[in-house]
Amino acid sequence: MIRTGITGLDEMLGSGIPRGTRAVFSLEPGVEGRLFMYRTIATVLTDKKKILIIAPHSSGKAFCSEFPGLLELVDPVRAGDVVILDSRARDSINFQEKKLQSRKKAWKTLIQETIDTHAIDVVFVYFDLLYEDLGLDGALGVLPSTHQKKKITTVVEHLNLEGDSLIARFASGKHFDLIISVHSAFTLVPFFNFFTLEYVSWSEMPRRSIPYSTGNRSVSLYIPKIIIMGPASSGKSTFVSNASERGISVDRGDPDGSRTTVAMDLGWLHFRGFDITIFGTPGQPRFDPILPQLVKNAMGIILIIDATRPDSLIRARELLTLPHAAKLPLIVAVNKSDLPHQMDEVMIRESLRLRDDVPVFFISSLKRSDVHFVIETMVDRITRHPY
Amino acid sequence: MYTYVTGISFIDQVKEGIPPGSNILILAPSMSSGELLGYALAKPRTGEYALILTTVKRAVDLLDYFSHEQFDRKHTGIIDSVTKLSTPDIVDNTQVTFVSSPSDLTGIGIKFSSMVESIFNGEFADADDALFPPPVRFYIDSLTTLLMYRKLEVLYQFLHVITAKLKKMEAVGIYILNNESFDEKTLSLMKQLMNVVIEVKTEQHGEFLRIRGVIGISQEWMPFRIQQGNLELMA
Repeated sequence: MIRTGITGLDEMLGSGIPRGTRAVFSLEPGVEGRLFMYRTIATVLTDKKKILIIAPHSSGKAFCSEFPGLLELVDPVRAGDVVILDSRARDSINFQEKKLQSRKKAWKTLIQETIDTHAIDVVFVYFDLLYEDLGLDGALGVLPSTHQKKKITTVVEHLNLEGDSLIARFASGKHFDLIISVHSAFTLVPFFNFFTLEYVSWSEMPRRSIPYSTGNRSVSLYIPKIIIMGPASSGKSTFVSNASERGISVDRGDPDGSRTTVAMDLGWLHFRGFDITIFGTPGQPRFDPILPQLVKNAMGIILIIDATRPDSLIRARELLTLPHAAKLPLIVAVNKSDLPHQMDEVMIRESLRLRDDVPVFFISSLKRSDVHFVIETMVDRITRHPY
Repeated sequence: MYTYVTGISFIDQVKEGIPPGSNILILAPSMSSGELLGYALAKPRTGEYALILTTVKRAVDLLDYFSHEQFDRKHTGIIDSVTKLSTPDIVDNTQVTFVSSPSDLTGIGIKFSSMVESIFNGEFADADDALFPPPVRFYIDSLTTLLMYRKLEVLYQFLHVITAKLKKMEAVGIYILNNESFDEKTLSLMKQLMNVVIEVKTEQHGEFLRIRGVIGISQEWMPFRIQQGNLELMA
């Protein structure tokens, strides 16, 4: 297996990209998606594999400058764990070969000879200019064959200016075993990046989208906002507290000794490779004016209801009518189900007018295992949701 | 609605400037002041930001030019696709970022988005007089070079994405293209992405510009010059 080095992604792929396959990172213009290739290169080098980088858009030195520590590995004196075919290779082929067919042949020969001479394990290809020079079929044709005796893995980065139609061509032509498209949700500003697992040949995996953040030259899978909402005293703060590794809560003590959330509960957790922020909303109706702002840009909603309080279902139904809520993945968590109660799933579904695909779980917010099961289901639903 | 002052008096007086989301193409022959006209239009006014993609000059030379021409350097970001060709080790800072070459459209797109993000997040410069959304003037100097490195169809698709983003951001885009170097098909395709076209011509007794695409504005040739980084119409 070739690991991408991106926690969460490798796990989803079944520990990485199988040897001898082809993978493509298809980048939407403007999205910081280069780190997918960078991380994979860095991880493969850590795993002591020999690599060929085809980077026709850049000089070798300029490419290495983006990648601390790479230049030393290219040093031919050290026999070279890394070989780079850079803009000079492209210029030379384009200068010497005037016909398309002979250019294709020259590239294919150069790549194969480099693989054989340096006993290359993995080939990384910056595809745009090959595509431009040779056409799509021509550029795909110069990539190492998947039928070689030695299993060469090929990882491609491509700036996709054609959108879904190109992804569809990649998939229908079975040109790649793994297709990952990288996007940015762009309103006024790019407010979050996400990638979509479009196709995986070695696994029955549904198409799914996963948000990510970047920093320190790494990619972290990321869910910026999951909303925990529900009627007052349904156990939202307990849920947030037990779901989080750390968090804060803005509460006020009531005269009867109970506490009420007056702004929000905020919690952070790292779960299954995801950095997740959860927002617990206040349940008292007097705070309803701030709810639309809290729900804005959320990626999923967990509605907490109290199993012992059927009368609170009306309020719960009211909360589901919030703007944005209808478009988001929703889970209903029926809390305090360890206490005597009469509510059942049919009654809840009817009262809340839930869609069939909305799961209803009977839980106790006091149990971390219950809370984590709900969060895990929400993560799964978020990654399958077409935002 | 915020409008962008152009320095072209009759546009600014009659229309109060150019509306957000506009894309302005300057068609200018070589050896003309077309490039400087682009910088005059891209010059950030109070509360505004300018982002420059340079495929011609090094960032260091541009910064030098900005110093002389009273360009607000603090609110100006540069994406330099020139310097790394000769100085591969040069590193980015908040206001100047580098891509490996003008052919690297992936890198250009990423640096553009990252600078926009830092402007919108208020991390780019002190934002005491901040407006929201922050007005941004984005200048590509020049399409001529980009077309030498990438095919017309590819560049068209790339610019299609960039112009759409500028519209969403309520920014303005300014682009310069040498109209002597390309055929009608190229010029016509580039014009399709634009709202306003400013043509420049050089004659024995000076330089002239003509504006197309602003309704209610004269389409006659007008003499102009660039003084201290500002556009002066002579008529």
